Amino acid sequence: MKRREFVKKAAILTAGSAAMPYLLPSGRLFAKTNTPLAEHVVYVIFGGGLRQQDSILQRYLADSQDFAAEGNLLHNILEGAPPTSKIAYGIGEGGTQPIPKILSRTIQKQGTIFAEMRAISGGHYGGLNSLVTGSGVAGQGLKVRPINPTVFEYARRFGGFKATDTWFIGNSIGNSLPLLNSSNHPDFGLPYGANFFAPNITFGSDGYATLQNAKIYHPQEELEPMYKMKNFLDNSFNIKKGDMPGIKNTDDERTKIKEFISNTFIRQAAGQLPMPPVGGGDGSTMGYAAEILRVFKPKLLVVNMSGIDGCHSNFTGYIQAMHRADHALGFLWNYIETQIPEMSGKTIMCFVPECGRNQDHNPIMDANDWYGYDHGDANSLRVFGGMVGPNVPSNLMVGNEANPIGKVTDFNLTIAQILGYKSEVQSAGLIDPQAKSLFDRI
Amino acid sequence: MPIFKLAVFSLVVFFFIQCTKEKIITNYEVVETPSYGDNLNKDKDKTNIEFHSILTTNLFQKPSSINELTRTDRVIQSCGDKTLINEVIISNYMNTSFVKLPTRKFMIDSTEKFITDTYIRFFIRRPTEAEKTWFINFINANKANPNFRPELVYTSFSASDEYMFY
Repeated sequence: MKRREFVKKAAILTAGSAAMPYLLPSGRLFAKTNTPLAEHVVYVIFGGGLRQQDSILQRYLADSQDFAAEGNLLHNILEGAPPTSKIAYGIGEGGTQPIPKILSRTIQKQGTIFAEMRAISGGHYGGLNSLVTGSGVAGQGLKVRPINPTVFEYARRFGGFKATDTWFIGNSIGNSLPLLNSSNHPDFGLPYGANFFAPNITFGSDGYATLQNAKIYHPQEELEPMYKMKNFLDNSFNIKKGDMPGIKNTDDERTKIKEFISNTFIRQAAGQLPMPPVGGGDGSTMGYAAEILRVFKPKLLVVNMSGIDGCHSNFTGYIQAMHRADHALGFLWNYIETQIPEMSGKTIMCFVPECGRNQDHNPIMDANDWYGYDHGDANSLRVFGGMVGPNVPSNLMVGNEANPIGKVTDFNLTIAQILGYKSEVQSAGLIDPQAKSLFDRI
Repeated sequence: MPIFKLAVFSLVVFFFIQCTKEKIITNYEVVETPSYGDNLNKDKDKTNIEFHSILTTNLFQKPSSINELTRTDRVIQSCGDKTLINEVIISNYMNTSFVKLPTRKFMIDSTEKFITDTYIRFFIRRPTEAEKTWFINFINANKANPNFRPELVYTSFSASDEYMFY
């Protein structure tokens, strides 16, 4: 080869290798478009409909039951003195004992709170959809997957994460919750969906009766030939993408999840699962979420709570559930920071409810003669959210009652920025056009 | 005149040709059609309850109670990877003493029949020649592995995509 020809070819090759996309070890085509702010995201849907007046505005009974008792029920999240009278939000008979605080510094002190945000929908499923998709579409039907991609699909497609890197933990199988781990969008969908558990069922009495006796097969001598046969059979049957009944894990991931299921029953029987000191309901869901974080150390985990929705008919139960949800959230953050070294200091936790609750009460009174609250009016679009972790400004309160800042749809783009693929999500053009990363709102 | 005679003759011939004695059919013949279909038309996915009702009937030779099916349905809904959770449920079934499986000896000694029977049992169709050949080779290659049992073959069929459709 002549020298001139060699130099020419070498120059073309060098230029080509710099300009052409290449596959990264994670399987993604391009390098991330922004520097990640953290390695992991835990996104807590503080769900069920949280009334702004009773939570962040700390008006307790003053703005709901016309009784002069104000104070903070969310002492792990927010700064503020607790109520001094009519204590009914705690545990024990009559709820008179507040649950001891878990965090030595509140989330407000450690991170940033957006005091007055706007929800997209005053209903549960529309609200949950807006949280997981970042889309402003409020007319999402029940019993169908979201029409726009979820935060999981963006993470897996643009972040290059595998299925066990993304988890959605639901508190039940009602309200179409199991459908929120993936959209049915033709460019995304189940191939990019997240793993889902409703652990109170998977590991509850139903799951125990159905799964607990499962055999543990030998990985090489039994599972390997079994998967080879199954893969052969699946390759012979061309299933259409739209007909996939669920997400797909790789063989290695399936083995790991099966071990997880088996070990969870064992650890449950031995009382070794990490549960909040005051468990049950949402607390139990958060405990299982902590167990998944401990084992899989996922890049993105979304967990849903909904105990506070009892407010429709039981205001006392609602304030107790709100206090317990704060306890569960404090437990989860504390567990990440103190018990999972691989995630400690590398995780940003975001939280927000899917909707608020009405301005005016309904006619239903509970045992304390306190009125219930539904959701659906303009007041139920008022919510607060927050985030905490590395690169999140600490002790910062953004916005207030007179100056709303941020929308619930911002969280999707915020997570994309945290994990490093913000511009790809924006370019896909399927999120709320008014959505911004919360880091850009600060 | 000759034309008239010809016309009469033709009419008589036509009359005898047209009028034949009606045959009484006493024997019906069978048109040869394959009893088992292929996998091309399986485009409807079974519901969780349909899937497990059919599966338990296959494995235990008796149907599950509606309570068991409802419970199983809830558990399947509680997991995002349906294939995975089905595998766990199947292995749970395999861990009971009621499951009815062919012997390993039958699988090794009568491999072709074992494969055909398994395809018919789970997929309601015969294997293609390519499928049969693949499985014969695979079973022969795994003869030396004492842990390779019909249970694993049955599990792979039960957990396959094709078994989830009809």
